[in-house]
Amino acid sequence: MISPELKKVILTELNLDDFNLQDETMAPEVPGWDSLNHVNIILAVEKSFNVKFKSYEVLRLKNVGDLQKLVDLKTGK
Amino acid sequence: MFSTVSLEKIFSLLKYDPNDPLIFSTSLFLFLFLGFLILYNIVGKNKTARIFLLIIFSLYFYYKSAGIFFIVLIVSAISNFYFGKWIAGTDKFPLKRLFLALALILNVALLGYFKYTNFILQIIGDISSRHIDPLAIFLPIGISFYTFKALTYVFDIYYDTLKPTDSLRDFSLYIFFFPNIVLGPIDRAADFLPQIDREPFISKEDIGRAIFLISLGLLKKVVIADYISLNFVDRIFDFPLRYTGVENLLALYGYVLQIYCDFSGYSDMAIGIALLLGFKLMDNFNYPFKATSIADFWRRWHISLSKWLLDYLFKPIQITSRNLRIFGNVIALVVTFFLCGLWHGAGWNFILWGVFHGVLMSISLFFKKPKEKLYKLLRIHDTRFLRFFQIIITFHLVALSFLIFRSYEMQNVLDMLSQIYEFFHAEVFIQFAEKLPLILGLILIGYLFHFLPAKLGLWIQNLITWMPLPVKILFFVIVIWVAVQFKSADIQPFIYFQF
Repeated sequence: MISPELKKVILTELNLDDFNLQDETMAPEVPGWDSLNHVNIILAVEKSFNVKFKSYEVLRLKNVGDLQKLVDLKTGK
Repeated sequence: MFSTVSLEKIFSLLKYDPNDPLIFSTSLFLFLFLGFLILYNIVGKNKTARIFLLIIFSLYFYYKSAGIFFIVLIVSAISNFYFGKWIAGTDKFPLKRLFLALALILNVALLGYFKYTNFILQIIGDISSRHIDPLAIFLPIGISFYTFKALTYVFDIYYDTLKPTDSLRDFSLYIFFFPNIVLGPIDRAADFLPQIDREPFISKEDIGRAIFLISLGLLKKVVIADYISLNFVDRIFDFPLRYTGVENLLALYGYVLQIYCDFSGYSDMAIGIALLLGFKLMDNFNYPFKATSIADFWRRWHISLSKWLLDYLFKPIQITSRNLRIFGNVIALVVTFFLCGLWHGAGWNFILWGVFHGVLMSISLFFKKPKEKLYKLLRIHDTRFLRFFQIIITFHLVALSFLIFRSYEMQNVLDMLSQIYEFFHAEVFIQFAEKLPLILGLILIGYLFHFLPAKLGLWIQNLITWMPLPVKILFFVIVIWVAVQFKSADIQPFIYFQF
């Protein structure tokens, strides 16, 4: 389940009013979330949740659900 | 006596010959593959027999083109299998990292030795202003492809997105698999390995698609690529100053089409042949000249390589340097495409070609937002009009890059461009069309088919699927007959056009 906070950060960064983000949603399915923009989303998530990811942790992410899990892990949820 | 001679002849035909690799568009391959396919279908139900048959045929296929260097292939399979096992076998992250580094060193060292030693020696010689004789190093065919294939396995295990296989035999089949060993697609271990266990099920649609792809690939390779290169493109590229600008421009358009038909044609055949064996390989080309930007071009051209570079090179650099924001992307783009160029060959032309693409994409990063604003202001955002111009501009940038790719001397690039700009002589086009209608026709047909809606290809594929078996066979025989006609045609005399 994607938290409203994470959803808001992603949608704001992509300039999207709304998009149905599910655990299985992968980056290319979301308008504007391309390989070049990916880094901006990761930076926005790190800033918003005040966390720091290791490169290895980011590179193994497969979908938005994995990103949510990583955020939860880092924020101690 | 007669039979001894014949046997000797057959034996020498089947033996390793560096000048006669077993490529798909040869009659020897077709003959051997038909025999193999019959045997494969007989033993198909037995998994062990099926896998061993595939391994043996694949090793023979490689031996025929690389001789004793099939040992490199075996070394690559065994070493990467164990690196995968060791990475997965430890919970300690530094140790995982160490094994990954060792795997990378070994793979890069193997590739580097065979492919780049002489290039490095040449650079050292140039810097120190003395002549160094190149070493006699044989380049084992397909080494760039299978090395990258093997690395997908090691990387994915490192990132914990793939569980290693317990079977060295299965992993070896992944590395040896003959349809994509020479020119890709660089299929992922994660996609291929699960297919080995399944009993091959080849549906009517698969057979239709396979015949469509093999026929299309054969026609692209033999009728368009080989024919226009031999009879037109090579001659202009060899002596651009002897020809007018219009001929130089046509040769450049011809070369862009040639390289696409050659490479994508071979990929089509590889995917089609794999399909007949019950394996689905990843797509490798998706109408690349319909791209509306260079980044879009790379989503459509040699997809298996661009995805590899994206996942295992670009993203790690990009994420590591993410605090530099847009400059992190620029560094990642230029480094990735520098190495992409180097991967294509040990020469400055390839490096320059790669860097050119990296720089073009970097520039477009900075102009992305102002460009979008301008399009909205002019109200052409998302219009056919805009797309048309984007396609034309992208195509010509790609063509310019391929001119660099094809030219071992920068002077050649400058000569062709100066002929196009300063010595165009458009009227020569009429003479060209009159004297070489087949060449012009093939170039036009090639581009026309490329720009027609993709639905047309699907429609032909469905038509072949629907054909009864004897008609399918007849269709395929006609395709082969056409290919043979073009292959055995006399070299077209070339005329120096008068103007």
